[in-house]
Order: sequence, then structure tokens, then C-alpha cells
Amino acid sequence: MSALFSPRSNGIFRLVIAIVLAGAAGTVGALMVFARIPAGTGQQQQVGQPVQFDHRHHVQDDLIDCRYCHTTVDKAASAGIPPTELCLNCHSQVWNKSPLLDLVRASWFSNRPIEWVRVHRVPDFVYFNHAIHVNKGVGCVECHGRVDLMPAIEQVAPLTMGWCLDCHRDPNPRLRPLEEITSMTWEPEGDRVALGKELAKKYDVKPRTSCYTCHR
Amino acid sequence: MPSLGLPIYGQKTALETRRWKSLDELEARTAAEPGEFPEGAAETPEGLSRRGFLQVLGASVALAGLQACKPPREKLVPYVRAPAAVTPSVPVAYATAASEEGYAVGLVVQAHEGRPVKIEGNRLHPASLGGSDAIRQALVLELYDPARLRGFTREGRALAWSALLQEIAALGREHDKDGGTRLRFLVAPTSSPTLGDLRRRVLERFPRARFDTWSATGEGAQRAGAAIAFGRPLDATYDVAKADVILSLDSDFLAVEGEHLRHAREFASRREGDRMNRLYVAEPRFSVTGGMADHRLRMRGLEVAAFARAVAAELAGAGLAGLGPLGAHGEGERVKVARAIAKDLAGARGRSLVLAGARQPPAVHALAAAMNEALGNVGTTVHWRAPVLLDPRAGADSLRELAGELAAGKIDTLVVTAWNALHTAPADLELRKAFGKVKNSMVLALREDETVRAASWRLAASHPLESWGDLRSRDGTVSIVQPLITPLYESATEIDLLAAFVGEGDRGAWRLVREGWRARSGAPPAPLPLAGAAAAANPVDTNRPRRPDPYDRTWDEWLAAGVLTESAGKPEQVAADLGAVGDALGKLPVPAGGIELGFAPDYKIWDGRLLENAWLQELPDPVTKLTWENAAHLSPATAKRLGLASGDLVELARGGRAVVAPVLIVPGHADDAVTVALGYGQQVAGPVGKGVGFDGYALRTSDAPWFAGGAELRKTGKRTDLAVTQGHFSMEGRAIALALDHEELGRAKAELDEHRGEAPTILEPVDYSDRTYKWGMAIDLSRCIGCGACTAACQAENNIPVVGKEQVLRSREMHWIRVDRYFEGPAEDPKSVTQPLACVHCEMAPCEYVCPVNATVHSDEGLNEMVYNRCVGTRYCSNNCPYKVRRFNFFDYHGDVAPTLQMLMNPDVTVRARGVMEKCTYCTQRIQRARIDARVGGKKIGPDEVVPACAQACPAEAITFGNLNDPRSRVSRKHGDARRYDLLHELGTRPRTAYLVKLRNPNPELA
Amino acid sequence: MSTAEKTIQDVRALDGPPVLVGRPDDRALTESLLSPVLGPTRKGWVLLLLALLGGVGFWTLSLVTTLFVGIGAWGNNIPVAWAFDITNFVWWIGIGHAGTLISAILLLFQQKWRTSINRFAEAMTLFAVAMAGVYPVIHLGRPWLFWWLIPYPSTNQIWPNFKSALPWDVFAISTYATVSLLFWYLGLIPDLATLRDAAKTRGRRIVYGIMCFGWRGSARHWRHYRIGYLLLAGLSTPLVVSVHTIVSFDFAISQLPGWHTTIFPPYFVAGAIFSGFAMVMTLMIPARRLLGYQQVVTERHLDNMAKVMLATGLMVFYGYLMEWFMAWYSGSPSEAFAFLNRAQGPYQPIFLMQMFCNVVAPQILWFPSMRRNEIVLFIVSILINVGMWAERFVIIAVSLHRDFIPSSWGMYYPTWVDWGLFLGSICMFGLLFLLFLRFLPAIPLFEVKELRSELEHHGPNVYPGSEEEG
Repeated sequence: MSALFSPRSNGIFRLVIAIVLAGAAGTVGALMVFARIPAGTGQQQQVGQPVQFDHRHHVQDDLIDCRYCHTTVDKAASAGIPPTELCLNCHSQVWNKSPLLDLVRASWFSNRPIEWVRVHRVPDFVYFNHAIHVNKGVGCVECHGRVDLMPAIEQVAPLTMGWCLDCHRDPNPRLRPLEEITSMTWEPEGDRVALGKELAKKYDVKPRTSCYTCHR
Repeated sequence: MPSLGLPIYGQKTALETRRWKSLDELEARTAAEPGEFPEGAAETPEGLSRRGFLQVLGASVALAGLQACKPPREKLVPYVRAPAAVTPSVPVAYATAASEEGYAVGLVVQAHEGRPVKIEGNRLHPASLGGSDAIRQALVLELYDPARLRGFTREGRALAWSALLQEIAALGREHDKDGGTRLRFLVAPTSSPTLGDLRRRVLERFPRARFDTWSATGEGAQRAGAAIAFGRPLDATYDVAKADVILSLDSDFLAVEGEHLRHAREFASRREGDRMNRLYVAEPRFSVTGGMADHRLRMRGLEVAAFARAVAAELAGAGLAGLGPLGAHGEGERVKVARAIAKDLAGARGRSLVLAGARQPPAVHALAAAMNEALGNVGTTVHWRAPVLLDPRAGADSLRELAGELAAGKIDTLVVTAWNALHTAPADLELRKAFGKVKNSMVLALREDETVRAASWRLAASHPLESWGDLRSRDGTVSIVQPLITPLYESATEIDLLAAFVGEGDRGAWRLVREGWRARSGAPPAPLPLAGAAAAANPVDTNRPRRPDPYDRTWDEWLAAGVLTESAGKPEQVAADLGAVGDALGKLPVPAGGIELGFAPDYKIWDGRLLENAWLQELPDPVTKLTWENAAHLSPATAKRLGLASGDLVELARGGRAVVAPVLIVPGHADDAVTVALGYGQQVAGPVGKGVGFDGYALRTSDAPWFAGGAELRKTGKRTDLAVTQGHFSMEGRAIALALDHEELGRAKAELDEHRGEAPTILEPVDYSDRTYKWGMAIDLSRCIGCGACTAACQAENNIPVVGKEQVLRSREMHWIRVDRYFEGPAEDPKSVTQPLACVHCEMAPCEYVCPVNATVHSDEGLNEMVYNRCVGTRYCSNNCPYKVRRFNFFDYHGDVAPTLQMLMNPDVTVRARGVMEKCTYCTQRIQRARIDARVGGKKIGPDEVVPACAQACPAEAITFGNLNDPRSRVSRKHGDARRYDLLHELGTRPRTAYLVKLRNPNPELA
Repeated sequence: MSTAEKTIQDVRALDGPPVLVGRPDDRALTESLLSPVLGPTRKGWVLLLLALLGGVGFWTLSLVTTLFVGIGAWGNNIPVAWAFDITNFVWWIGIGHAGTLISAILLLFQQKWRTSINRFAEAMTLFAVAMAGVYPVIHLGRPWLFWWLIPYPSTNQIWPNFKSALPWDVFAISTYATVSLLFWYLGLIPDLATLRDAAKTRGRRIVYGIMCFGWRGSARHWRHYRIGYLLLAGLSTPLVVSVHTIVSFDFAISQLPGWHTTIFPPYFVAGAIFSGFAMVMTLMIPARRLLGYQQVVTERHLDNMAKVMLATGLMVFYGYLMEWFMAWYSGSPSEAFAFLNRAQGPYQPIFLMQMFCNVVAPQILWFPSMRRNEIVLFIVSILINVGMWAERFVIIAVSLHRDFIPSSWGMYYPTWVDWGLFLGSICMFGLLFLLFLRFLPAIPLFEVKELRSELEHHGPNVYPGSEEEG
């Protein structure tokens, strides 16, 4: 009777087996990589906003402190998204005709809020508190990056739990003097870790890693 | 991908709830149709619900394409004009008050971003002292109830408020012609001075109109009793803390009657230490107060009078000769008891207290008043004051008169603000029929009920948390009722409505109340408004631009404190007319034979007004642990005699009226008596209350409002399943809820030592002594009255879902803290111990080492932490928990919560998804908030600073919480107490919650 | 008759029935043993298939309902958080043990009687483990997160809790499934080749050709085959003990009265083999008749398996006695109560069923005649299957429903979904087995041939009993 299989079939057969095994392993690997790259964490994605608000201009050119708009960042859990009212403090005087600000003025007169798009999102079961970080010497730039260089705000930190833990386990390299807390450009003289140690003592920095610190 | 398995699959999340900022959006949301409620209650295992589908769909999608597991980017919605008072993510508390039978109960309400979320008692208020109860806790749920009545209609025509005002004005002109002869108001008892003014002004305009006051559960009997004894109606307030010996004549003064929150606190303060008080209770049904009794005498309701007279007779023998004529010696065993009680009372003159229950006839109240006076208690433990209620004679009589007029067609317009009169009115008054004869029946109500259904004008009432108003407590203290939120739906308060009848409906309750008190407080009149530019300069949030007004400050202080300083009235001097009391006693009917039918306000839904409140429906009854319905309570012996078992459906009949009711056998109930809780079985009810329980009012007649002889129980042969959360009331001889007699305590030390201290172990226990904080709790069984306030408070604080009757029957209730009740001794006449039990936060927690994914772990401060987002739901932890205090989300209970109910969620607590385990966290959100606030301020958390919801609510201060590493903290002292023991100590779990043995103080002569 | 002959006869009498009836030649064996595979489809087979498909439908519906609605679709509650789900899991895993025992341990002990039944038992093992594997996943509240039990470096830097027995289960079960599969498949290869050669159609030849990995039966092939088979046997031997030991830890490491027992590991393993052999018996007795395997699966096999059942049954009984003794000896009231509650509580009938099926029924196997009576064996084996399920239910659900604090006591009542997942899994198991019988050689052809040749060449001295029919 004729041969069932051609001589090449052995090779093909081995190849198939190899592909199946490699595929299985590869998928798992790919997933784990994906969870760590920007595509998975949502970093490096410029997010469009209803109003073309440019942090570069407000921070660099106008030298406005973060806390002028994000008023509760050192008092409350939420940093505070400025109410339309606050925009108009200036923009009732300057650029008060600019079409870029139509929406802002519309919001004020129609009493309808501007719906900004959230960039930094932690899950609902994560209770992040701005006040405690800002008051213990963790600067805005540590998590939010060089906002002063961003035309549109993007997420620079992975915001994964592991990333949080890295700092909660060893905060010293991320600490800065309170007076520099909102500075985008501050650089420590000398060894930052050493400085961090002093500051940690000075501000009584005791980061916690037990689950209820963030999950409730 | 940690974000897999978040509750994102087609589910609403706590964050959405948090995100509500502007009123516009709120309206937009509330416009959406209400979701089903209670969540998941209707969920059958068979049903593949929409949310279930979405969840699995979401799961598969998430597993398939990874991008899909990312929710769409959220919106951040800031204010347009930021209100001064609100900082997002920082809750604010406001003082206000709610009415209980017309009297004020002071509250402090916490609001998140303008949403009232949690209610506590106001410690400055005499009727609360900081404590609260389940009903008060659940008021906030009533506010967000999607089934609330909305807007105003007349004969089905929807009316705007302004339009309604015009129609009322027209109506008023009609009645002006005859001075209101054909105009009547049926109102609930209230102490509101503003309402008092308005009623006066209404009567000035319509001299021949009348206000009739009706409450099915009012305490008119006491005032009537005072009228007999002292010649004028008076209100008694009691100083329970001063009483060494207390005799309760069927008075549930710890949980229901009078200022029960204060009573409970004062009573509990005398249940530990050497100056323990002694409580005698004579009552038909097993009540919360009865559970605390050192000697509980079960007798039928109509026999209480005779027993009271027996005590009076013995008192006369014990040197209070004055009481002689009132006394009448009993016979049998009771004599001995009465003598012992009398001796005890007489031995504590000026330090004793006799209370008569609201269900007892006026004569018994008069006798109690006389006994208190004879015992010299007036001025020490009892204070008599002129009633603060606008109409002291609330009761069936005024209602009977009204019913007569209605039936005779003498009335054109009837304005009803009393709750659901058609349901609660005595059956013999036939109010239902008479009501139909009125041309204009105008009903103001919070939700649709039978009366609203029958009315031609249906007006939505504002919730107390949406209303301006004022109330007084029994001692006269005034509280301003202030709103925490603008009304969710178009609605009006009783003040607005009455004002409409005097042409001031457009003034608004705020001005009426505020200006009324300006006048009463003698403050100067408000300065005239500014005009033009100066007005614009004024802040936006005040209601109108004004010149600085000195009254503002006073007003704000009142609002901040929740009480008007120095507003309490002076006690009156009284002298009892013993003759009159004797006559009244003589006229008392002789207890009839046969089975006595007794009625009682429900511990949860009161007179029925809270029927729609799912929290209260699911809250186990303090005594019977029954949820989601009422039942006919019988004693074991009577049930045996009638051949009935719990769950049997019987036809309960009296005087030609009958209802079908399930039987529930309650240990310690009086024989030949049946007790029925009122308020259930309403003909018109929303999604929660539909078909819940049976209507006790159907059997209730005006001649016998509380107790009636000659009841019959006929078997129907049918049975029903009663959703009782505790099936087993015996401790099986195990040491679980320990109780001792006062003098036994000394001898019991060795025995107690077996239940505390170091347990032998091969594992080196972790040493927490060097930590800044070591959180711990102590529960004092001697103080706990078992009312269930803690359970309700926990439910409100921690976003705990309601699961519904079917799930309770499957024993899947979700309460994090439950109150177990154990009966000791003979089933006929047992003693009882109540034991609140939540996660005890074992230092050696059995749940922790069995969790495969580290979802429940130990914190450095010794908390047993349950991490919902890590939980995969093996339920192994619950299997290994010896206390069985863990709760599992068998369904997606929060899947589609009505928009308004999302506003109720506490944003500080994660809303749990389907398939995760949950349990008591010691209110960790409060600990974390306190920690962050303290650390931002560079301070340390105070020893007693953190208070969990259960401890805060407890009226008896039975629960204490704090830092065990701080010797100054109350909880450390409790942990060191001689009565301290650990539950299931032999397992070596090292629980952080310690229990304190319940003490009893029996009379040696009755031992 | 001389005394010598007499003694020889007596000795033969002791040996019992033969392991192989007659001396069929290779062709005869091939034809008879492959006939179920190569022969035409039988009506009975189709009918049975359809019936089982119905059951599988029920099973699928229950699975889907569970996934969509949640664990709430079951009767589970607090306190009884585990019930049918874990009961079924332990039951199926236990059943799986017979296969490994027969194929591995008996192979190493050179028990010749294993040859004709080992593949049968292995297939049974494989399918049982497959059924068991379902429950640990679907019993999760959030089954789509089952992979959190697997240790891997995650971005939230959390690892499974190795103190808990459940992650061990993951390893135990996956290892067990893998090894069983390899072992079973390796054994199949030579017979698949035979099938390839015997198959009528080209299509079948190609399929079997691929499946047998191009087996040519060369000496090299045989050598590698032998080594591999022995290695796998060695590998899976410890599994027989380890898997159910680990499963028993799920309960033994807890502190619940009725679970917290040191005797669980041996007692569970014994129970597993007990139920496993019962299941082999339940399937073998009808298969043997219907497919005409009496020649190779003889009374000898039934007899031996019955003996194993009797022995393990007695071990299980000892386990029961020990539990009861400790309940009394420990002096712990809640411990004692847990066991009294089993015998007197609301679940008493299930307890009595367990005792009758697992303790009383097997005693009949003391009688040789009974051990060779198909009917009796079939009934007893079914009873044992029932009894072992009851035992697991009593251990799991009945221990949970009344523990330390009386106020939290509760009752468990199964819903239709619970029944669907239990009965449906049996149907699914049956379905797989039916397909196995139809498309693969249920009796290891080449091993039987080998056995026969051994019998021929070494004659009665090795296997005296096999002479009479010669």
C-alpha cells in the first residue's frame, strides 16, 4: 500500500509541536510584558481636553503655582479641579474675547460645568490622598512629571501598585523640602538620598504598606 | 493585569457616585427611572440578569482583548461656582433634628459633596446624648428612596408649586365664606413652635376650622394619666441614672418610649460597677427592656394594672400609707413578688422609679405617678413639665369626632399631614368609607400610601433632611431643623403647606422659621436689603444681599449646636389627687377570659411609616430576629395548647374582624396572649413593602387601642417560611455570651481566667506593644440592650447591601455586625443575653493563613484587613472563621442601584462586587482619615478619637474602641476590666475585640 | 491420584482463575480487541451517546448559570460556604486514583493482572481528573481571576499565599493531570500504530498515523518506549499518595471541628483508591460484557480488584473509627458535637447512607464466590461510589453547618444548579468514556499479546492457574 506520509512530514510534525508550545509560552509572556509597557499602563498618551488648556503657558510663562488652581492639594484627598469661577479670575480680564475660552465663558453664564477628561485614574478601590503626600515632601513632579513641559497633560508614571510600593518602601530618594514641593525644576545639591534621610526625619515620613493604607 | 476583575463590567461604581457635583447633573440623574430595590432581592438563581450577562461578557472580553478591560476615560466635573462650605473629598457635618411622635431627636448628619450620607445622634441634645437607633440611622435611606412621591397633583393634574398656591388660595376664599366650618386639618402630633404659630394664624382666618391630631402610637395615655392625677396633662421626663430601683409596668422605656435613647444611656451607666441599679419589668411580650430586667414578670397586658395595685398595696404596708386606697392585694405567687418589689422600692425613696407603659390605660399612669410621688421621686428621678406638644389630647377621640363629621358629609376640605390615617385609624371608625365623602382631600406625604391613593390632592412632602423647621424635646429644648440638601423632587414641608393657607406659601419655610425665632428670641428686625452694586458685592450663597445682621450670629450658633441654648422649660410642682386616681382605677375593666390580643409599635418600622425602608426591613427584630415581616407572637405553652408551631398560618380574629398571620413562638411571652406588631400589611406599598407582613390595624378598635380580650386563633393548615436570622437561641452549654449575678463576679474570677489571658501556643505571637497604635474594641454585654442600632449604623456607614427575604431565608444576610440573642433557663420564662458580634480581628486569624491569594492579611497595627479587590472568592476564610462573621457577595447586589441610592453610598468605602468576601473593618476608613488628618497636622491620633459607626450609634455606650497601646484610652481600661473575657479563647485566636460579662442584680428575696 | 498431583491441584486451586482465558493468537486478539473500534457503530452505543448528551446539556446550562448569576445560583451560604462544589471535586479526584495506582504501582510490582485493565483505568483517571478540575475554578466568586492562584511576578507585587492549601491544589491537580495524560498516551502509541495498520479507510489511517507519532515498532522505538514508560511510572507513583494528601490538607489544616484532623491524609488516600477501584469496576463489568472482553478481563481481575476494594474499605473504616475516637478523646465539646451532629443532626440520613455503603456493603467481599459474581460486584461498586460521595458531603457541608457559635448555625439545601453540576459531570464523564471505547483500544493490545507469549513460553510454572483451559 502507498506510504501514508511523505518524508517531509516528520519535520512538519516537529515544527507544529514546537509552534504550539512556543505559542502558549509566548502568549503568557506577552500579557506580562503588556501589563508593564505604556500601552498597558496608559502612559505617554496625550489626552485631548474640551478646553485647550496649556500647562506650559500657565506654569512657565505665567509662573502660576500649582496650588493656585489645585487649591486643596495640601488639605484634602483630592487635589481639586478648579471651578470655572477660578479661570475667570484672570480671564475675565485677559483673553476675555479669545474664542479658545468660549466654552469657559459659556460654562460660567449657563452655570454648566466644564467636563474635563480624567488623565490620572486609579481604580475605585484605591484611596489616594494628595494632602499627606504633599505635606510629607513628595513633590508634584514625582508622580505627575514635568507638567510645565506638557502641552496636553499625559500620564508619566505607570500608576501600578508595584510603582506605589516602590516609593512606599523607600521614599527617601523622592523627598524634597516643602518649600520646593510644587517646583518643576528643583534639583538637590549633593546626594539626594542623604538629603531624603534628613527630610524623612524632619517631616516624620513613615510610609505604610499595609493594605488598608490605600484599600478600604 | 490587576485591573481585570474590577467591578467595571457594566456596573456603576462608587466613583460615579462620588462624581456627582452639580445640581443639574443631580436632576438629570434623578429623572432617570428608579432601579429595582432592594438590590438583588428579586434576583433568583435561575434568572440570568442583565448585569450578570454584562459581567460575564465583560470578563470574557477582558480576557480576550486587553484594551477592552480598560474603562473609557472618565470625566472630571468641577463646580462652576465653588460653594464655600464644600471641599471635595472632605465630609461636612450639620446638626438638625427629626421628629419622634412630635418630639425632637437631635441629629448630626454627615454630608459628602452635599449628599447626606450618615446620621448620628447629637450629644448636645437631651433626647439623644449622641446615641441613635436603627430608625434614626435609616432615615437617610428614606431620603433617597426612589419610590418617593414627587410633585403635586390635583385630580391627577400635575401642578407646579406656584399653581398649587393659587388653587389653595382659591380654596381658602371658598372657606372664608363660612369661616372654615367645612375645613378640617388632620395632623400628626408636633412640638414645632413655627407650626404652632401657623395653626394659630390659620384658625384666626378660619375660626370654625379645626386641627385634629392623630398618631396610632402616641403616648397620650401618660398625659391623660397625669390629667387624672394632677388635674392637667403633663409630660414626664425621667432621670434614669439617679434611680437605684426601677419598676417598669409594661414600659419599653429603653427602646421605644419617651426619650429612650437617653434612658438607655443613663440606665446602662448603672449596669456596671458597685452602684448597680435593679430593674423589675412586668410585661406581656418579651421586649428589649424586658431583656435587661433583673426580674421579668410576664403577665397579660390587662393584668399589669392589677399587679401595679398589688405593689401599691404592699408599698402602703411598707410605710407609704397614702397609697393604701389605691392598692389591692393580689393573690398567689404574685403577692410575694409584689411585696419584695415594694420593699425594694420603699428602701430607695427618692432613688427609685416607677414607669407605666404607653400601652397601659391612663389610670395605670396615674397610679404610677402617685407611687412616684409617694416614693419622693418627683424632682429627683421624675420631672413633670407642661407638654410641649401643640395638642396634648392626640388620640382616637378627636379622630372619632372627625370621622363622624366626614361620614355626615359636613366637610368639604380635609388637609391630612398625619401619616397614612386610613391605614392606622382604628378599624371601627370606618375612616376609609368616610374619607371618600370629602370633596377636597389634600394629603401631604413622603411616599404614596393608601391615604394618598384615596386623596384628590396629592402633595409630595419634603424629607426632614430637605426641610427647614423646628422641634422641641420633652423638656422644652428647641432644635432648629435644617436641610442638608435641596429637595430631590418638587415637594413641600408642612410649614409651606399651612403657610399657603394664610397666603404665605411663597415665603418659604426658611424665612418663616428664621424670622419666627427672630421674634421669639427678641432679636432686632432684619435690616433692609441693600440695592445695586453693594448687593452684587455680597457673597452669592446667602439668600439675599443684606446689611450685617446681629441675629445672623445667634442663628448660626443655634444651627451649629443643634439646640437653642437655655431653651429647656422648668419642671412643675405637682400634687397627686389620690381620690381621682382611685376612682380611675376602679373604673378599669376586669381582664376578660380567653386569649388577649396585644398590639405594639414595631421596633423597626414603628407605626408602619418606615415600611418602605429596606434597611429596617432586613434588620433582625431585636428580640425575635425576624426580618421582612411581622408575626403573631405566642408563648411556647399557648402554642402547644393550640397545637401551633412557628410558621403556621393562623386566622387571627377578634370581634368579627380577622387577618391571616404567621405564628412565631417567643420564649418568655405571656401565656394566653398574642402580640402583633403594627404597621405591616399595607394595602398600598412600594417595591420594598409590597406584600410584607399582615395588617394589625385591621383588628384594632378605638375602645381597645392596645389590649383586647377574646381573640381567637384558627388554624388554616397552611405554613410559611419566616426569615429569622438566628435559628438557634440556646448556647448549647458553651461559654459564649457570659452572664453573672452581681455578687457572683468576685467568685467567678478563676472561671473567667480560663477565658482570657495567654493561651498556650507553639507559635510565637507577634508583639504589638511597640507600635504607635494597637486598635482594639471592647463590648460590654452588661450595657448592651440588643436594640440593633449598631447593625443599622454599620449598614449605613459601610455601603452594605440589602439582600431581601429570599436571601435571608438562605442565610445570606450581609450585616457585618449582628446582635445575637441567647435565652437561658426555662423556655417559658427565660433570661436573655444579647451579644453584638462582628469580626473580632484575631491576632492569630484563622481566616488569614487559608486565603490562597493574600486577600485577607494582618496589618502592622493588628487589624485583620480584608482586601476586596484582591479577593477571588474561594470562601475558605469564612469556612475557617470560628465566629462566622464574614459575609459573601453571592450576587451582584450593587449591580444596578437606582441613581438616587448611589448618592447614599459612602465614598470612603469601596462598593463590593459580586463574588468577593467582606466583613467588619473596624471602620478603617475612619481610622485612615483620622491618621492622615493627625499626621498632616503633625499630631498623634487621640486615645478615643477614632469611633467606629457601631460604637458611635450605640445608645448604651456598650461598644468602646481605641488604641490599646495607650493606657489612657477607654478601651484599654475595658480590656483590663475584671469582667473581660475573650470569645472562643480556647482556640488561641487572640481576638482584639474583648467582651465584658453581663451582670445581673437580682433581688435576694426573690432568688 | 498421587499426593504430588493432589498438592499441585491444591496449589492451582489457590491461584484462582486465570488472567487470560485460552491461547488466542495475535490475529485473533487483534480482531477481537479492536472490533469495538474498527467494527460498525452499534445502535446501543448511539442511544447511550444521545442520552448522555442530554445530561451534558444540563451540565452546560448549570455551568453557564453559575458564571452569569454567581455563586448565589447555588445553595451555598454562610456558614455552609462549601458544599456540592468541593464535594464533587474531592469525589472526582479520589476516583482518579485507581488509574495511577494500577498503571504505575502495580506495574512496578510487576502485577501481570494489571495489563489488560490498566488503560481502561488510566482513561477513567484522565476523565475523572478533567471533571474534578472544573470545580476549583467555577467555585470561585470571581472565576475569571483563577490565575491569581498561580505564582507569577505581577505588577502589583503580590504573590499567592503559600500557607494556604489551595495554591498547592493548583500544582497537585495540574501535575496529576499532565502526568496521567502522558502516561496514558504513551501507552496508547503502539496500539495506535496497530490501529493505523488495521484501519480500512485512508482517512482513518492518516489520523491514527499522526496520533501514533509515526511508530514503526522498531527495536529503538521499543527501547525508548520501555524507558519512557518506566520513568513515567516512577514519576506518577508518588502522585498516588501526594495528590489526595494535598486535597485532604484543604480540610486538615483548618481549625473547623470535623476538618481539623491529622488522620486525613492516609484516610483520604485510602478512600480515593477505594472509590477509584469501585468506579473501574462499575465501568468494567458492563463494558466487559458488551464488548466481549471476558477473554482478557477475567474473573481473576474482578477478584483482585474486589480484594483491593475490601482492603482499602477497611482502611477507610479505620479512619472513621479514629475520627470518632479523637472526637471523644480530645475532650473538646465542639469537636464532640460535630460528630454527634453527623449521626443525630438534620443530615443523619446521609451519614447512615455513608456508613452502610462504605462500611457494611464491602464486607460481602470476604466471600470468594461473591468476589467473582458480576452482579454483586456491580452493585457493591455502585454503592461504594455513592457512599464515598456521601462521605465527602458529610465531611464538608455537615461539618460547616453547625460549628462553634450556635447563633450562626444554618442549613444547606442544593438548588437545581447544584444538581446539574453534580449529575451533569457524571454524564460528561460517561460521554468521554463512551467516545474512548469507540475510537481507541480500551485494552492494551500489545501488552496482552506479550502476556500471552509469556504464558506460552514459561508455561504453568509461572502462571499455573492458566493451564486448565490449555
